[in-house]
Amino acid sequence: MSAVKELAGLKLEPYSFSVEKGKIRELAAAIGDPNPIYYDEEAAKKEGYEGIPIPITFLQVIDLWGGFNFEKKCKMLNLNPVMVLHGEQGYSFFKPIYANDTLTVSGEVVDVQVKKGSTGGMNLITLEFEYRNQHNELVAKSRNVTIERH
Amino acid sequence: MWEYFEDLNVGDVFPTVTKEPITRVQLVKFAGASGDFNPLHTVEEVGEKAGTGVIAHGMLIMGMAAQGVTSWIPRKYVNSLQIRFRKMTKPGEQIHVTGKVIEKKENNCIVCEVKAMNDEGEIKVSGTFEAALPSKIMTESGGNR
Repeated sequence: MSAVKELAGLKLEPYSFSVEKGKIRELAAAIGDPNPIYYDEEAAKKEGYEGIPIPITFLQVIDLWGGFNFEKKCKMLNLNPVMVLHGEQGYSFFKPIYANDTLTVSGEVVDVQVKKGSTGGMNLITLEFEYRNQHNELVAKSRNVTIERH
Repeated sequence: MWEYFEDLNVGDVFPTVTKEPITRVQLVKFAGASGDFNPLHTVEEVGEKAGTGVIAHGMLIMGMAAQGVTSWIPRKYVNSLQIRFRKMTKPGEQIHVTGKVIEKKENNCIVCEVKAMNDEGEIKVSGTFEAALPSKIMTESGGNR
């Protein structure tokens, strides 16, 4: 129980990954989002974008394919994989992100809560990530709460 | 699609986006696309062991909520989306995404609620998004407010 508390303040090793238009298309198709701006550069340009923009939840692709996949994340945070749930997720955008951008990501464990309950306790681990593009501009932030049931 | 700040008012309800029922193949596609290979989403035995059966990725449902958001407001104006995962979703369930305007703020910013629920109205994810839209009103200096 006390070991999980020590995760607070842990900084993740930064990672970089390029925003690939094939991955944008693949994610939009898996969600079943037919918005043409995710599939066709011409359609995106017609609607005022400089290129193919990323869907709101696309940064997950950068995190999992470019950084820490589920297994790695469990190891790093010492989580029991079968007890893990996703509690909350948030994305904030400051500048547009397009296909062919390269993002560099730094992440940190910002909060750890241990809760006790009648149906068993849980750990709530909050991580925050910052995304910078190839011009070193802060383009987005994300925040997620991972739940580990005891 | 709403393009201007003035066209939206607090309490306005966006048209519901109804998705096709979730299939197991969709979960496999989403696993590959997202990189989330937690076997709870694709392997029956793991689902049974967990006591839940195979369940959809929470992020798939959030992605559907995001699809709703960007069908109402152009992607380029959406500044944030924050959601909480409330209930598990199983293959075969059909998701409906609803939204409404809850606040209008300075700088042409709107705050809206978004929910994704099944046919029975069980809320799977809920949260808020913010967007900054262009204004129809020109300021005295000539630029858009």
